[in-house]
This record gives sequence, structure tokens and C-alpha cells, in this order.
Amino acid sequence: MSEEIAFWILATIAVLGALVAVRKRNLIHGVFALLVFFAGLSGLFLLLLAEFIAAVQVLVYIGAVGVLLLFAIMLTERVAGDDGRRMVSRGWFWGLVMAAAVFVVLLLPAIQQWPSPETAQPIKPSVEELGHKLMNPYVVTLEVLALLLTAALIGAVTAAQGVRMPKEEDSPE
Amino acid sequence: MNFELLIDILIATVPLMLIFATLFAFTTWLERKALARIQNRIGPNKVGIPCTRIGLFGLGQPAADGIKMLFKEDIVPRGADRLFHLLAPILALIPAMLVLCFLPLEFPWTKSLLPIQAFLLDGAVIFFFAITGLNTLAVFMAGWASRNKYSLLGGMRAVAQMVSYEIPLVLSAVIVVMMVGSLNAAEIADAQKGFDWFVLSPWGFTAFVIFFISALAETNRSPFDLPEAESEIIAGYFTEYSGFKFALFFLGEYIAMFAISGLAVTLFLGGGDGPGLAAAPWLSVVWFIAKIFALIAVMIWLRGTLPRLRVDQLMGFAWRFMLPLSILNILVAGFAWHAQQQDSTIITVITWVASLAILYGTASGLNQLNRGNTRPRKYKYAE
Repeated sequence: MSEEIAFWILATIAVLGALVAVRKRNLIHGVFALLVFFAGLSGLFLLLLAEFIAAVQVLVYIGAVGVLLLFAIMLTERVAGDDGRRMVSRGWFWGLVMAAAVFVVLLLPAIQQWPSPETAQPIKPSVEELGHKLMNPYVVTLEVLALLLTAALIGAVTAAQGVRMPKEEDSPE
Repeated sequence: MNFELLIDILIATVPLMLIFATLFAFTTWLERKALARIQNRIGPNKVGIPCTRIGLFGLGQPAADGIKMLFKEDIVPRGADRLFHLLAPILALIPAMLVLCFLPLEFPWTKSLLPIQAFLLDGAVIFFFAITGLNTLAVFMAGWASRNKYSLLGGMRAVAQMVSYEIPLVLSAVIVVMMVGSLNAAEIADAQKGFDWFVLSPWGFTAFVIFFISALAETNRSPFDLPEAESEIIAGYFTEYSGFKFALFFLGEYIAMFAISGLAVTLFLGGGDGPGLAAAPWLSVVWFIAKIFALIAVMIWLRGTLPRLRVDQLMGFAWRFMLPLSILNILVAGFAWHAQQQDSTIITVITWVASLAILYGTASGLNQLNRGNTRPRKYKYAE
């Protein structure tokens, strides 16, 4: 019972954090909302008794990735965080379709064994077991995630280059 | 709902918070007194028992400070981000309070609660580092939300400094984890029972010194207090804070000091180990807190003695000196661990001498190499 209450609280925090992270125009607010999402996720891992993954989630995502994002924002000219520009959203339809497709593929291993067993099988937490699991039922998920990360990397480079402006004359210092 | 569990959790956590908040009040007084003596002043000596002339060496000063902080006006700058301005001091305090539960403090009244103690988690040390890292975000949040250039500068300095010094901090803790083979704080403390402390070996001593220096930088203590360098950027990230929000920052900073000193005691100074434990097991808590206070005293002493570092010196020290030394120290500790498995006196003696020579040689060599990089600074406009 109390686990269920904890789950719903944590899930609400995570979903709200993710929504705010996507919707906020202010970059810094967005980053902190993303960190709230990570914290909620870490709590969910803790609820599943995966305390090591929860600790690593906090260490890597909140500690390292969050600080990296803040660093990146500080190095741009928009330190104040306000970004009033309109977001370009051509092709949102195909984006939505792709997002749904990726989501379904990620859930594939869970869908395959759909009538899920009533009681969870006891598992030995070991790195070897983790490796076998990654290769056997989750191999498609792994590949899709790898592709997604590559796409995100290319997208980031493209976005960082921006639209090539015709070069104006450098003003003297 | 399981109310017994709830009560057990309260019994385990509330005394911890109360004890460390009291110690915080005492430490502020101690620090002001000690700094005053170093600078040939008297320090706080007036506030004692109200309505009498009894001074009690100024021990009432923390209470008076607290009352003053509570009644001060809370000012938020017009351009500030009100929500983040409010959240930052809270975010600074929560991680500091949270990590206290990962210290292996065995109070007499928590004997029956051992199964729910957080320091018995298998990843207690990882959790400690993960949660102390959140402090960086609070500092950045405060600096950014104030909409003040000095605050933002302080926040940026803090982030750069904390990210750099976290690496030697964690790398020096790795040695202890290697030696014990566990991330469980209680097991690490138990492995040092009977004055078998890790600080009493060449690699352990090196790791302890690296850990302590990095801990000073992590908690923004002098000589690494660049984020709040008052001669350059007013008060750094809490320039725009007043009243109780400022007090929360202050409290968070000191609690973080206790927590990181507590981790140093756990990892290197034997935890609650000390004489007289067989007769009275409750002494372990006393020993633990006494060791924390020994480390705090060194921090106060350093603050009264050393001048503040420059930004380039700070970064150079972390990346050019501490990082190579701590990586080499991990190698030395690995060899030493294998040598200890042989269980022969001669090999142990050879290991000790060799590791002492290697570590000392590396430290002085790095010192020589870095000397060339610290040229006298050229001032462009102040000739």
C-alpha cells in the first residue's frame, strides 16, 4: 500500500518534471525541471530496491549531466536563460510518429511477455546477468537507444552550427 | 500505513538533525573565538544569560545571531527569479542534512533500528558522493537567480571549483574501497578496528591529505573560498541573500563541513574506533564526534592562517598536482594490497619503504614541474 502511494507520488513528480522541461522557454528552468525528472526516476529505482542504479542515476545524471548542461548554457550568450525566439516546429507530425515508434520498440521486451507474471522472479544482481539480459531480450532496445543517441548528437551539432549568416564585417574592438 | 516504521524512522533521524544543528551553533562560536585569538582579538564575549551580566565567554552569541537572522527583512531583488531565489537555500540545506544518515554513527537508542539504517546500504559511500554533489546545483541556482553579476560570477566559480575537486575527492576514497572491498560505511569503519586506521599507512596518509584538501574546496572553505571572495565579488553567490535565507545557506555550509569530515573520519580515521570501547560501546559516538571536531579545528586553523588562492592557482593545483598524485596513489595502493596478502614481514617493510619513496618522489617532482608555471603576474594597467 505505502509502496503504491510512493510510486504515484514519484511518478507524478517525474512526469511533471519532464513536461515542464519540454515546455519551458527559459533554458535554466528547463534544465532544473529535467533534474527534477531525474530525481523522480532515481526514487523509482530506489522503490524497486535497485539502490546502486539509483545512486548512479543521481551521480551521473544530476551530478554530471546537469552540471554539464548548466556549463553549456553559461558559455552561450543567453546566460539569463530567457529565450523568446519561436521554436521552429515544422514536421511535428513525423516527429510524433517517430517518437511513438521508438517508444513502442523500447517497450517491446515487456510487450512480448504481456500477461506479466503475478510475482516477480528473484534475480541475482550481477554484472554478468546484466550483460546477458542486454544481449538477449533487450538487444533491439539497446540498438534503438544507440541510434537515438547518434541522432541526438548529429542534431545537436546541426543546431549548434545554426543558420549560416552572411558574414558581416568584424567591428573593431 | 505502517506507523511503527514511521516512528522508527523519526527516532533514527530527528536526534541526528538536532545534534548536528546544536553542534553547528557551537561551531560558529568556536570559529569566531579561534579566529579572534589568531588575529589577537577577543571575539564574542558579551552575550550570555539574558538580563544578567554573566557572559559565559559569549556562548549565547549563536542564539542571538539566530534571533537576529529570523527578524531581518527578507529582500529579493526586483529582477530576480523569485522561485529559484527561494528554492536555492533550501536545496543547499537538504543534501547536507541527507548525507548525515550515511555516517556510521551508532547511537545507543538506535541499536534496535539497525536494519533500516542507511549506512548499512551496499552503496552508502556512492550515495554520499552522489548527494553531496547536489550542493553545486544549489550554489549555481543562487548565483543565477539573484540577477546580479557578482552572484553569477560566484556561482560560476563555485561550479568550476566543485567539479574539479570532486575528482581527487572520489579518487582518494577509491583507495579505501579497494582495501576493504566494500562500499558499506559500517564495514569500512569495522575494518579499521583496533587502531588499524588507513591514515597510518603511506598510501592511506596521502589519500587522506588529498581527501581533506579536496573537502576544503568542496565545502568552499578558506583557502578555497573563491566563490564568496569578499575582496573581489562582495559575497559571491549569496550577495543578494538576507535574513533567514542567508542563515539557511550558513547552516547548510556548516552541516556539509560536518558531513564531509564525518566521511573522512569513516574512511581514514577509523570511524568510532578508540580506547575504552570494550567497556562502554556508547563511547564510539563520542570518539566519532571528537574526531570530526579535530578536523573542524584544523579547518578553522587553516582559515586563520592561509591567504586565498587565485583562480588559476586553484585550477592548476587540482588538475596538475592532486589528480596525477591520486591516480598514482591508487596504483601504489593496489600493489600494497597484493603485498599484504603475502603475509610476510620483509615484504611489508619493502612495500612501505618503496611506496613512501614513490609517493614522496612524485609529490616533490610534481611540485618542481608546476613551479615553472607560476610566473609572477603581469599587470596590464597597474604598472
